[in-house]
Amino acid sequence: MKKPDLKKYSKQIIWIAVIAVVCIVLAVLKPGREQLLSSTSPKMQKLIDEDKGSTRKRVTVTYNSLLIINYVSLSSSGANEMSERYVGFLGKVYPADAGAMKVVGQMVNYSYRMLGCGENLMHGAKLTILLTTLTVIFGLLLGTLLALGKISKKKILSRISGAYIFFFRGTPLLIQLFVVYFTVPGIFGFAWRDLFSSADAEAVYKGAFTAAAIAFALNSGAYCAEIVRSAIQSIDKGQFEASKALGMTYPQTMTRIIIPQSIRRMIPNVSNEFIMILKDASLVFAISLMDITTISKNIMTSEGSYLVFIPALVIYLLITAFFGFIFDKIEKKFSVYE
Amino acid sequence: MSEQYEYILKTEHVSKRFGSLEVLKDINLSVKKGEVICIIGPSGAGKSTFLRSLNQLEKITSGKIFIRDELFLHRENDHTVDKLPKEKQQELLLEMGMVFQRFNLFPHKTVLQNVCEAPIVVKKEKKDAVEARARELLERVGLSEKADEYPSRLSGGQQQRVAIARALAMNPEIMLFDEPTSALDPELVGDVLKVMKELAQSGMTMLCVTHEMGFAREVADRVLFMADGIIAEEGVPEEIFTNPKAERTRNFLNAILDA
Repeated sequence: MKKPDLKKYSKQIIWIAVIAVVCIVLAVLKPGREQLLSSTSPKMQKLIDEDKGSTRKRVTVTYNSLLIINYVSLSSSGANEMSERYVGFLGKVYPADAGAMKVVGQMVNYSYRMLGCGENLMHGAKLTILLTTLTVIFGLLLGTLLALGKISKKKILSRISGAYIFFFRGTPLLIQLFVVYFTVPGIFGFAWRDLFSSADAEAVYKGAFTAAAIAFALNSGAYCAEIVRSAIQSIDKGQFEASKALGMTYPQTMTRIIIPQSIRRMIPNVSNEFIMILKDASLVFAISLMDITTISKNIMTSEGSYLVFIPALVIYLLITAFFGFIFDKIEKKFSVYE
Repeated sequence: MSEQYEYILKTEHVSKRFGSLEVLKDINLSVKKGEVICIIGPSGAGKSTFLRSLNQLEKITSGKIFIRDELFLHRENDHTVDKLPKEKQQELLLEMGMVFQRFNLFPHKTVLQNVCEAPIVVKKEKKDAVEARARELLERVGLSEKADEYPSRLSGGQQQRVAIARALAMNPEIMLFDEPTSALDPELVGDVLKVMKELAQSGMTMLCVTHEMGFAREVADRVLFMADGIIAEEGVPEEIFTNPKAERTRNFLNAILDA
């Protein structure tokens, strides 16, 4: 096979390299945690020093580092109640208790929380991306089976697939999620958290995530079925005839000739479905999972910060842009023969 | 291959209906090994349908199809009366190679992969052996330097020659050509016909639906003239082209040769 033409991508490569270099420089020049903590007021400094020896901490330190910028918030309660915030950027430490720097500090803190930094995969953007990716993968596998069923000459298969698609496209995803999370364990007498060790503190979340992934994949399967079906049916009939004339069986024709060609035609629609699921993933708030949307809503409720939704939108856009780019590349890769 | 048989392919009373439209009416044809038969006739005469029903791309309404003297399929009124077991059918179908009007190459596979696909997947042959044979075949159709190209990079004539190589890779005993040059630009027709001529001279049994009268005249052992679903006239090319008996044949040939 031919080597990829590097010249074609040179512009993109230069852009990515420039952004990467800028980020690395900013990340290196970012003040460290110690530098931030040593920039506090003498009073706070005293409290911190006292805390070092004791087990009872009086100062709550929140430290958020986001690649090129970092933020620290210190607060103490009781007799010495006070709070201070600082932002570190480009080698300097800025107080962030008022004005523009306060907003910057808040944005860093909110983004940090919504991205799920310092947490496991069941939080924030990590949860959103993981759930979406799993949904699309299993949705496509299920959708392919359903699509093959729907175009099958066997009436029973075609009816079952048709009914499945009708049901899952005709009812709200949120109720499907409720059914999988509440109704199914209710009927069969189990709990989703029981799938995980009782010693696991995150068992509840993992159980809820499992339920969500199943509900989303079942739902997405119905939509993917239509994507796969229309792609298969857009393939020229001559391809089936040529395969048959060469003695290939139906499964061979499907797996070797038709589906590989269909994939290329599915990609734009799968990309679309991916983005839809990415946004639908916010429905997991209903079963107490902490995705980007849930976290932003919680921040709004607990801190009254109406600005939190702006970084939420930016995070969604960045994820969409990244995956849009990936799908674009996949499409190009599959288009070599056209 | 050592089996003895009289006719490699034979049809008896083959009819085909699409709803109320009768496309084929009582077609009887016997093909001996090594024969080259050209089927000519106006469009809508059922030529392609006949060819396609031979290798089961169309289901016949009634009639019998024999391959190597074995009753391959017998249908009456859209019901199968008798047929060979499925594996045997599949085996005999592999003896028929088909070339389509619109080539139908696999666009996502390179030329070489197109030719190698069926022998590897269907006949489970070894990849190396198949590739060597595929390269020989591509050489034979004059396209050895295009082995690693995708079909979309080829002209129609080149694509059709790849399609011929692809069919030949299965080592068929008989080749069916369904208007192989009708979708081609006039200047590309010659290369394809040249390959078909060489194939005929090499002793391949061929059944060609074609509008290339010159080719039919030069290469065919027998020419069938089909019109309205029947074989209106049948004979050696000289006879059909110089002294057609049926009026329909005369009209058709006059219209074609005048144009």
